[in-house]
Amino acid sequence: MKTRNDQDLARRLILRAARKAPAAVAQRLEEEWLADLASRQGSLARLRLAIGCSWATAVITRDFNVPQLATSGAGNGPKHWFADHRYDLPLLSRRTVTLLLIAGAHVLLIYVFASGFAQQFSLIIPQIMHGVVIEENRPQPPPPVLSTLPFKATVITDITDTFDPDRFDLTIARGDEPKHATDDPPGGSLPRGVPAVVRVLGGPGRNFPTTEDYYPTASRRISETGAANVQVCVDGRGYLTGAPTLSKSSGSPRIDDAALKLARAGSGHYRPTTEDGTPVTSCYGYRIRFELTD
Amino acid sequence: MGKQIKNVRISLQTLRVLEAFLENPVDELAGADVQKRTTLASGTLYPILLRLESAGWFVSRWEAVDPAHVGRPRRRLYRLTPSGLARASEVFTSFGRGVPA
Repeated sequence: MKTRNDQDLARRLILRAARKAPAAVAQRLEEEWLADLASRQGSLARLRLAIGCSWATAVITRDFNVPQLATSGAGNGPKHWFADHRYDLPLLSRRTVTLLLIAGAHVLLIYVFASGFAQQFSLIIPQIMHGVVIEENRPQPPPPVLSTLPFKATVITDITDTFDPDRFDLTIARGDEPKHATDDPPGGSLPRGVPAVVRVLGGPGRNFPTTEDYYPTASRRISETGAANVQVCVDGRGYLTGAPTLSKSSGSPRIDDAALKLARAGSGHYRPTTEDGTPVTSCYGYRIRFELTD
Repeated sequence: MGKQIKNVRISLQTLRVLEAFLENPVDELAGADVQKRTTLASGTLYPILLRLESAGWFVSRWEAVDPAHVGRPRRRLYRLTPSGLARASEVFTSFGRGVPA
């Protein structure tokens, strides 16, 4: 019963396809295809033939409608209307291939989910992956435009007397009696036998660099200010005899680094300490303040 | 007819059809026979048969049987023409495959 229905369906499809074929070959194709149908065994083979005949009708009709073919075949009858045909259709057209690919993708998806492969894969993924903790990137405030910054950086240096006699061997060779002392305690006098010299502590001198050139860019953007105490040892010509050291932090690493750079860059521009007017090597500290002022 | 033969484009499917006929050039084959030998789909096979026939490579005729007597429609039988045989042999030679034995 089922075979009979399949055969009827295939027959109807073939008759329909043949009717749509060009009139010159419609009757011939119908009989030829029905004879072919009779030789086919199996429902699938018959349906495949019927569908193929429908496709063949489309191809034949398209070939028949090509103008040059119609012209060339006009004088020779229907037998020659394919004469100038220059192409053959491939076994599978592009549309057929596309449909097959789509159908194949669906079948693959169904198989993946039905077979449990997707679940197994989801269990494997965490074993393959390695978690990496990424610190939250906190949004930074947009940097201000420097050209419109309402502040101006200036250098302010405070000289502080942090003379450390333990670190510096100050040789004092003067007379037994002090001639003049600027650092005498008020209202008092030096004990007998202690030499007295006029000692003027050094510090940043002429053409000393300014903090404006060393103000950290990041600190400038966030209007960060601060003051750091640096300790320097300066010879009689105003040059550093060693690397400056930080004696008191400003609380900001950026400001501290900038202060040390500034102190190092000032070598040669220091005003040396004088004793009785004579430049001597000495160590002293001073404060470098980074401020943004109007 | 010669001019028309020259314009036939030879595709892989066309070669398979010709190969089926060249196995025994004097044989007459119906579409179902060619399909069995080439395994081409009917949607590809019948347009090729018609093109080759209209180009003069094949001739066809109806099977000389009475449909009422045999209980089925007549088959359309195709056969290579002499010019079609020559052209097919030339095509296979040019492809380097040689004429099928």
